[in-house]
Amino acid sequence: MLQRQAALESCSNFTVDRRALLLGAAAGALAMPSLASTSLLAPQERKTKHVVLVAFAGGVRTRETFGAPGNVPTLEALANEGVLYKRVKSSNLGHFGAALSIFTGISEARGIRENARGGDPTLFEYVRKDAGLRASDVWISTSGGAQQTNFSYGLHPDYGARYGANTVDGDGLFNAEFKSILEAWGRPKALPPKEAELLGRMRGAIGGGSAGSAEDSARIEKYILDELTSGTADIRGANAADAKAIRVARNLLVLFKPKLVSIVLQQADAAHGSYNGYVEIIRRNDEALGELWRAVRADPELRDSTAFVILPEFGRDADLNSRRGLDHGDGSNDLEYVTATCWGPDFARHRIVEEDVQAIDVCPTVCELLGASATKARGKRLPKLFA
Amino acid sequence: MRAAALALALLGIAFGAGGEARAQEASTEAAPARALDDAALRAACFDLLGRPPLEAERAAWLGRGRHEFLDHWLSRRETWSHWVEEQLYFFFLIDNFRPENERVGELPALLASRKLDVRTAIHRIALSPSFDQRNPGADTFVTVVMEQLNGLRVQKNVRELEVGKGIYDGKPGTFLGKSGSTQADLLRIAIEDRSFVQQLLAREYRRLVRAEPDKAALTELVRRFQRDPSVFPVLLREWLLSPAWDMRVRTRTSAPNRLWIAALHVDLLGREPLPDEARRLRTALDGLSDTGPLRSVLARVLIDSGKVQLPAKAEILDPTQWIAGLFARLLGREASAEELRAFATAFHEPECRPQTVLYALVTHPEYQTY
Repeated sequence: MLQRQAALESCSNFTVDRRALLLGAAAGALAMPSLASTSLLAPQERKTKHVVLVAFAGGVRTRETFGAPGNVPTLEALANEGVLYKRVKSSNLGHFGAALSIFTGISEARGIRENARGGDPTLFEYVRKDAGLRASDVWISTSGGAQQTNFSYGLHPDYGARYGANTVDGDGLFNAEFKSILEAWGRPKALPPKEAELLGRMRGAIGGGSAGSAEDSARIEKYILDELTSGTADIRGANAADAKAIRVARNLLVLFKPKLVSIVLQQADAAHGSYNGYVEIIRRNDEALGELWRAVRADPELRDSTAFVILPEFGRDADLNSRRGLDHGDGSNDLEYVTATCWGPDFARHRIVEEDVQAIDVCPTVCELLGASATKARGKRLPKLFA
Repeated sequence: MRAAALALALLGIAFGAGGEARAQEASTEAAPARALDDAALRAACFDLLGRPPLEAERAAWLGRGRHEFLDHWLSRRETWSHWVEEQLYFFFLIDNFRPENERVGELPALLASRKLDVRTAIHRIALSPSFDQRNPGADTFVTVVMEQLNGLRVQKNVRELEVGKGIYDGKPGTFLGKSGSTQADLLRIAIEDRSFVQQLLAREYRRLVRAEPDKAALTELVRRFQRDPSVFPVLLREWLLSPAWDMRVRTRTSAPNRLWIAALHVDLLGREPLPDEARRLRTALDGLSDTGPLRSVLARVLIDSGKVQLPAKAEILDPTQWIAGLFARLLGREASAEELRAFATAFHEPECRPQTVLYALVTHPEYQTY
């Protein structure tokens, strides 16, 4: 524990100069392929059948997570039972581009407010195409609204929409105001079998068609309606959007048992205007992740077959701004290095990895876990991950 | 044409002197150039108004010249209200970040009356507190200004980014070739720069014509705009009268959620959604990458709500004609013979209700395109 504490303290103390950093990164890059190739198991030999990938995004520094472990008891517990990467290089490409990089394995220079898909395939497309997964096997639960639905798939001609993930933005879909509209309109009436058959016949006669199977669409339609009447819409608090994204993911895991669920958080970006608010959001999000972890461990099918990978898309500036908040643009180590936590049945336990890795390494690692190959990604598999 | 003239009179649409008489005599005139059919009218309404035509508008404009339609609507507040909404959406100034101040609120009326040009309108939007709150901190603010206003990649313009951040913080500097020392200076310089005009015209052309503007043509457009920013409505008119826009009408694409919501309300309820209704529904739909299932749920919920006025089955004396009318009105095209046959056959089954026909059309992926 003392060793861990010392390691955690050094986490928040980034004093490596740029030259040493580059040398270290180069050495790490040279060492990684052999390490990775010897420690990975073939997919069929692994216990991992489900992966929960959390972009603990919005810009979160290590200082407020593993540098102050009282803020994040869940992450601390996951790291204690798993692998903690202390130095994960991220890129300050704006929240959208940096988070997208985690999913594509390529540093994506995207506009901060760009509301468009990237040209590179995402890990969702890789796993759906390579592993032949259904639409209902791959989900992203987001909290950042319209822009984040672009994470579900890219525009690469070999991949694209037909291999995309289902994206649900918890705060968009499951908000109390929307629920009130549906309550005012009423619920759709079930059609008698003959009328449903006639409807299908007429729809089938119209040119065009929809992506995804009718069965998947019907299941997703039912899930949305059921979820709308549950308590998700009523979640309140400073991290309400993030908490809904985590709750949606939890319910999806339990209902669909998908192979891959990704969660994209965003509200820590409140740090621009309030340091205290930012810390509070980190604490609450950690608490919500704790509920998700408990739900997984309580489920007989999921508990021994689910892996978690959790990392921010980037950190934040070293110093407070004039509003006593934290921006992200100073190029400091606090901004560019984050921590990643990995926990799962195939992963090492109680391991702290000191060497530099990259946020773009997550995509090929998750793909490997699920039996897919991220052929376009520029990252490498995370080293020293497996037991 | 008599019905069209009556509808126009009901709408209070100005024909100029003797307009109604001219409409009544129109049966003896040749069809106007680029006469509006259902496809073009629906597309033009989506592009200018953000919704399909109301029933009375459809009756009024079908068969009339597109130029006349544009002359009418390009000076109307509704058109510029939609244009402002599109700009706010582009800057992600939506929901909690939507500017509510008077200076932004009056933009549609000022643009319609040509008392303000679009560059000044966007400048006002960027000066609103909402823009500042949406893009907090020097790095985010300057990045968004450079990317959204000027179309510049910050990764390739690191020096400008750093200088811009300094200006944002009150440090004098030269940004895009001009001196400034305040956040307001930064915005003014960005909006006065040629790159702003190029970015604005290129993205508006893409939005409306759904094609990349020809490089030489864009240079000429920029030159015209730089000389006189009030030329923008003229450019819109030219774009919507061009063969490239004819092609846009023929190549349908998925309608953004905000347009689909407006379409559903206009087509089923005969009215536009209230701003609050639209916001709530859009927020929910924007949260899904595949909106098909939820759109389908919403359309069915609305039809089942009893708020949609439909004739009783017994009142539909000519089902084929009724179904053909729905295809034209809802999908903006004629039904094929096979489609009509399939629908009419299904309609004659006792279990098929008028609502069932409506379900089939508005829950179909084609209805989600425009």
